[in-house]
Amino acid sequence: MNASGFRRGRRATAGVLLLSLAFAACAPVTTPAEPTLSAEESTKTTSSGFVCPEPSPRAEVTSKQINLFLWTEYIPADIVECFGLVYGVEVNQEYFSSNEELDAKLRAGASGYDIVHPSDYIINVMIRSGLLEKLDKTRLSNLGNIDPGYLALYGDQADYVSPYQLGTQAIVYNSAVVENPPASWADLWNPEFENRLVMIDDTRVIIGMALLTLGYDINTADPAQLAEAEERLRELASTNVKLWDSDSPKTALIAGDADLGVVWNGEAFLAQQELDTIEYVLPTEGAILFQDGFAVPTGAPHADAAYAWMNYLLQGDVAWLLLKDYPYTVPNRAALDYAQANQPEVYALYANSAITNASPEDLQNTHRVEDVGDALQLYDRVWTEIKGGN
Amino acid sequence: MAIDNSAQLVDAPPRNRWQGILLALPVTLLMTVLLVVPLIIIGVNSFGQRGPDNTIIYNFNLNNYLRLLGISEPGVWDTLYLEILVRSLWLAFQSTVLVILVGYPLAYFIARAPRKQRNFWLFLVLVPLWTNFVIRVYAWIMILRNQGVLNSLLGWAAGLFGLNFTPLDLYPSDFAVLVCMVYEFLPFMILPMFTSLEKIEDSLYEAAADLGANTWNTFWRVTFPLSLPGIVAGTILVFIPVMGTFIVSDILGGRQVILVGNLIQRQFLDARDPVFGSAATIVLMVMTLAVTLYYTRKFGFAEEAFGR
Repeated sequence: MNASGFRRGRRATAGVLLLSLAFAACAPVTTPAEPTLSAEESTKTTSSGFVCPEPSPRAEVTSKQINLFLWTEYIPADIVECFGLVYGVEVNQEYFSSNEELDAKLRAGASGYDIVHPSDYIINVMIRSGLLEKLDKTRLSNLGNIDPGYLALYGDQADYVSPYQLGTQAIVYNSAVVENPPASWADLWNPEFENRLVMIDDTRVIIGMALLTLGYDINTADPAQLAEAEERLRELASTNVKLWDSDSPKTALIAGDADLGVVWNGEAFLAQQELDTIEYVLPTEGAILFQDGFAVPTGAPHADAAYAWMNYLLQGDVAWLLLKDYPYTVPNRAALDYAQANQPEVYALYANSAITNASPEDLQNTHRVEDVGDALQLYDRVWTEIKGGN
Repeated sequence: MAIDNSAQLVDAPPRNRWQGILLALPVTLLMTVLLVVPLIIIGVNSFGQRGPDNTIIYNFNLNNYLRLLGISEPGVWDTLYLEILVRSLWLAFQSTVLVILVGYPLAYFIARAPRKQRNFWLFLVLVPLWTNFVIRVYAWIMILRNQGVLNSLLGWAAGLFGLNFTPLDLYPSDFAVLVCMVYEFLPFMILPMFTSLEKIEDSLYEAAADLGANTWNTFWRVTFPLSLPGIVAGTILVFIPVMGTFIVSDILGGRQVILVGNLIQRQFLDARDPVFGSAATIVLMVMTLAVTLYYTRKFGFAEEAFGR
């Protein structure tokens, strides 16, 4: 059915093209004729040649645009383009590179977004502050594609977010130049790593890591413990850290600007694709877990398109692209099944990698960044002081 | 004479009162909405207090300013933020001086080039501005990084002589930030300097030569004083933006080089502490204004210097 649809679409498209050419030649003043083809019939192909899967089920979307506020370097371009094509909407994207930035911009009154992309504790903060709409799950028929084991990691957040990906934050190193591979968070303080680290620029994860080396809980609200962590991190920042980068930390590793550091598992995997001496270790104190998803901000102007977006990205034949482009840990069972059947190479690469393919059980033994309420101000202040002093 | 013309233009009274008001209206409205009102908001916020979940509590207090000065806790003087301010001032000073040193010879060369060639050279100075600021900053990563253009060239040159070469550690660093600042703001210095230098009449050089001045004396006693207005204008155009920039230090400093611009940006985004960010903004503005005022008082604004 797919194949015949494809052929019919092609011929029809060519016809429309010819027709409009003829129009353009004879009557340049008149506006071009509307394509006589209904949206469902034609095959949509992205600029990279990817044939867009049809939405299943197709949601009713009357909006003509959707405004996305997303993590940088995280959504396959084909998916974004396909969504615009299959629903005939204009897709506007803006990016943020930390949860705090997302939260701050929404609070400062940034409006007009239909989809936001929060992770971890900030989801709870945003729920608590009324920044997110509770999801109407009857409009998300593909939610069942998410593996229940992974879904459980979201807990109550699942009422507000449609799961996208999850993964770990742990240690990455280039075995070609790092003689003594780090095994724990504490190893990052070794003097031999002076000016060699690339770190994601993340308040809670980096402070959390320092708390773990001190034997404290990563969600502590104790000012004294945070002060100790600040002391540790000020030392690390002024000695071993070479750069902070949450946009694309893999770049510094691949280009040889940094030899080791703290990144997300997907970044480590992508770096390893480019440079096979890149290794990823879960530190002995325990890696830090993240999970994220799409949410609808309160007052989203194009909520119909937002639901269509979330449901489309839950489809197996769409979400498998994550394995190819941004492989963190994909909780979507349908996507894995689809890749296994149709993209065996992409699937094998993902499934055989300990970096990306972590089971829900593996992820139970990690630390979770949680909402700490008013103590968040302490974290923010500690972070400012760590980053300010060199 | 050029001088007389400009004086007339400045002093000419508007033909009609309403005409003047109408002409000034668009700018006045824009400035009020986009500059004055936000400034008032920032000013008010800077005396507020951060509440839970990023709310602002408006209870007039000076805590944000005390925190900047490092005296919010009794008995402890934390110089963290003062260091950031001093670092920014120092970098802006270094950048401005370097831009003058690099830009002056070029501006002089262009001004003394045959009239037909001048536009071509000025065009070359402006070409980089066709590319987005941020992209130009990223380009410096390609040049300065460990396996970047510069290190590759140096390694190749060293190889020719059979020397061992360890790549220079240039990115990210303070040095990379400084180099990029000089590069980014060079055109803003060259253009006003060129304008001043170009106005110097050939007859003045001839007169200097007739009176027995050698090249050195001609430069210091004729050319340089007359080009001063351009340097003053250029300095203002360079110093103020460098003081507030955060993109260059963010990208080329690997977020390790924290300037007051970065501090402010972080407060509004990552640290979600807009009240402290507002206080830092006000301090930055006051500081920049003070330095600029002192500087223009000392060296005079363009016209005054020109008239000397």
